[in-house]
Amino acid sequence: MNTPASSQYLLLFRGPEWDKGLSPAEIQDVLDQAMTWFDGLNRRGIVRGTHALQRSGCIVSEQRAQMVTDGPFAESKEAIGGYLLLELDSLDEAIAAAKDYPGLNRGITIEVRPISTECPIATRLRQEQEAVAAA
Amino acid sequence: MSNNTDYLLLFRGNEWQKRLSPEELEKTLGRFMGWFEELKEEGKLKGANPLYGEGKLVSGANGRVVVDGPFAESKEAIGGYFLLSVADEAEAVAIAQRCPTLEHGCVVEVRPVAPECPLAHSLRTATPELAHA
Repeated sequence: MNTPASSQYLLLFRGPEWDKGLSPAEIQDVLDQAMTWFDGLNRRGIVRGTHALQRSGCIVSEQRAQMVTDGPFAESKEAIGGYLLLELDSLDEAIAAAKDYPGLNRGITIEVRPISTECPIATRLRQEQEAVAAA
Repeated sequence: MSNNTDYLLLFRGNEWQKRLSPEELEKTLGRFMGWFEELKEEGKLKGANPLYGEGKLVSGANGRVVVDGPFAESKEAIGGYFLLSVADEAEAVAIAQRCPTLEHGCVVEVRPVAPECPLAHSLRTATPELAHA
């Protein structure tokens, strides 16, 4: 797959249930390692934003008159527990940064996504319209 | 001094636009941009980014597993996000309900941002002897 080049990458941390079965000391150890990892990125000056997310929240959809449901964000392996926005030159650099995250050893998965400067759907639509106009 | 809280809106679903004609798509994207500009002018938008459909998933001990993300045509795939500064969850949900792509099957996940890692917080509260000065 060809991943587009970008100057910013979003890291999404999936699987907030990694702490289950660990002792408080073990959890603290992972948190300390994660903080050391984060401090390293911060010192490089590449962190553009980061937040941990509460395990609560809602899903809003149009089905059946804009149903709002409380999301079970703690139970799923797919659930997103936080994000980190990094400024880097390439996807490889973003993957290298993600690989060093100590939570990976505890079952967390990191989704690495290049940020687009404009909505990719709008880009595609414009290109299609230009192609039609040129034809 | 504002008492506002940050909420992350995650836009899920990247196949909704497939069912629309170019005219319908243009109209929806126009409404989306209008909604976005309005939130920005109201000072409620602290950050926002669209994501490319591609990406990688990194997992396993020491990140040894790197695979292409299964983002193609999925209801779950995240296409972008807004970071909102609002009074409360009700306001965040009300804003999400105005998202113009909802009517085409897109789903918005509304998540309160934690002032610190919720795990570190609960750990410190539960086991004060582990707390770092």
